[in-house]
Amino acid sequence: MPEEFIYASSGYLAQCEGVMPPKGVYAHIAGIDLVQGRDKEWYILEDNLRVPSGASYPMIARELCRRSSPLTFQKTHIEDNRNYAELLRKTMDYVNTGGHTVILTPGRYNSAYFEHSYLAEKTGAHLVTGSELLVENDHLYFIDYSGRKEPVGAVYRRISDEYLDPMNFYEGSLIGIPHLYDIFRKGNVALLNAPGNGVADDKGIYYFVPKMIKYYLGEEPILHNAPTYLPLYKEDMDYVLEHFDDLVLKDVAEAGGYGVQFGNKMTRQEKEDFIALLKREPRRFIAQEVIDFLDIDIFENGECVPRKADLRAFVLMGEEPMVWKSGLTRFSRNPDSFIVNSSQGGGFKDTWVLSR
Amino acid sequence: MKDLLFEYDMQLDFAPPVEEHRFTLKCIPQTDERQLINRLDVEVYPKEFLSADKDSFGNHSIYGYTKGKHDRFFARVRGQARTGLAPFLPAKPEHQVGLFKYQTDYTRPGPAILKFAERFEGAMAECQKDHAKNILFDDSAALNVEDDGFRSHLPEAALAITMMHGLYENFSYVQGVTDVNTTAEQAMALGRGVCQDYSHILLSLCRLAWIPCRYVVGMLIGEGLSHAWVEVYSGGRWYALDPTNNLIVDDAHIKISAGRDYHDCIVSQGVFVGRTTQTQTVAVRVREGGEI
Repeated sequence: MPEEFIYASSGYLAQCEGVMPPKGVYAHIAGIDLVQGRDKEWYILEDNLRVPSGASYPMIARELCRRSSPLTFQKTHIEDNRNYAELLRKTMDYVNTGGHTVILTPGRYNSAYFEHSYLAEKTGAHLVTGSELLVENDHLYFIDYSGRKEPVGAVYRRISDEYLDPMNFYEGSLIGIPHLYDIFRKGNVALLNAPGNGVADDKGIYYFVPKMIKYYLGEEPILHNAPTYLPLYKEDMDYVLEHFDDLVLKDVAEAGGYGVQFGNKMTRQEKEDFIALLKREPRRFIAQEVIDFLDIDIFENGECVPRKADLRAFVLMGEEPMVWKSGLTRFSRNPDSFIVNSSQGGGFKDTWVLSR
Repeated sequence: MKDLLFEYDMQLDFAPPVEEHRFTLKCIPQTDERQLINRLDVEVYPKEFLSADKDSFGNHSIYGYTKGKHDRFFARVRGQARTGLAPFLPAKPEHQVGLFKYQTDYTRPGPAILKFAERFEGAMAECQKDHAKNILFDDSAALNVEDDGFRSHLPEAALAITMMHGLYENFSYVQGVTDVNTTAEQAMALGRGVCQDYSHILLSLCRLAWIPCRYVVGMLIGEGLSHAWVEVYSGGRWYALDPTNNLIVDDAHIKISAGRDYHDCIVSQGVFVGRTTQTQTVAVRVREGGEI
């Protein structure tokens, strides 16, 4: 892999260089976005190893469905997905360095606050904000409601790397905990997921993942990547320019469905501008074949209509990897759109995995 | 080789006082192949708790916490160093210093730097071509830039020195026109600045030629503020250049820390609670004396 893909990545944090997290686990909770093509093959669309969100939505949807239609679950053989909290707890306990387990939230105005509080409730972890945690004598403490200091051994943090610790990352962060990363470096607390994973989320790295699997494990990947081109390589650039209308172009540093453009949806002028940009900054983009993925039915305005959808699978890494037998199905509300992200108006469904 | 006594004083005054103060300081020189730190005395006040560690660049950092109200915070470092023990620092293999090849927000070139860099185009291209070569230079040899052997064996260091001379002739040392947030490009466009600006511009130029290079914070013989210079990777070693004084670092410099740019080497960093005005005073004194 060209070193540039690491060092010039916007997710690369030099502060994390040479730091080993407790038990060597970096990606405790991985959210892997999959799509199924018309050929029934599953493809990996992207990896999310920073702070993947969304597990609570299928959990609550299942809870409500079971309540409103218990018979459905008696008659249909569906894997019970109510064990997510248990898997998460196992994952957090495995790396806990001694002390309480907390879920760190930016606060109740955050759009994912429901998830933070729901997961805290279901796992029995304390839900805390940065101001309730402090570093003292090289250890992390949680101040409880009576003002007592309790040691913390694991933090499932739902705030991004940059805001985690103003002394080591973004200085202006008011939601972080000063010196948290210093004691993490010393192995005195576990952070889930480990800071610095952003480099692996970079869409430029995605291209290399099947190659990593072959190189490090000597195995063939079971799930395929969507066919991807790196314009940084000349032959890939030639291919991209030749097949521009068949491809989707993604800005490697963007997430949440932003920075995604379809070649055939651009006007002539936009296309020219984009190609000029692509030639100037080839490292900034990847191009992928547009997968003709299987639609799913959604219920809208009283009728069933087909929409594009993807599946976010949750893979947890404790003592061994655990795949949650459910997942977050996301769909596009707009019939012409491929973008399923909730931040762009997408909807979600529970995901039933049939048990036979 | 010199024996140097050094004093580093950093003081923060707060009006009105602050509390819940957390700080990180990177102001402690370490022993390496070029310098031996013989005596070291560090005092930080006030503090409830103090701890030490090394950051990802290997710099010594001390950090801690002051809970109660205070209107003054200081760090005093006293010690003795023997400097100039070697003409270079041994470095990790090239694939492990890759991160020092990439421009940062401070060093990213713009029109002013790119225009200035044009005059070095030929040598830069040569250097990029030679980049894969990793010839070891004779250990005992002093740095003689005029020496043909030097140019052929250490093209990166030779180019960096040429660029340093060029920069020195085209840039003026003026205090107060730039600040800690000034980028290399801004300083180059201005044509004036201090050691931080000289160093960032030289880093920017070296990185244009894909030469790994580091920003260094340290102390220089005399009285004043802390100083900044550059280390350039060449032939598997780090060579230190002081672009502000247009010289190859010998034994008048004591190194404190190194990183990709100023930001990685911030000497004093802190967060506290209080609506206050803070004043930072730094005083560095280095003089010859105190045999080891």
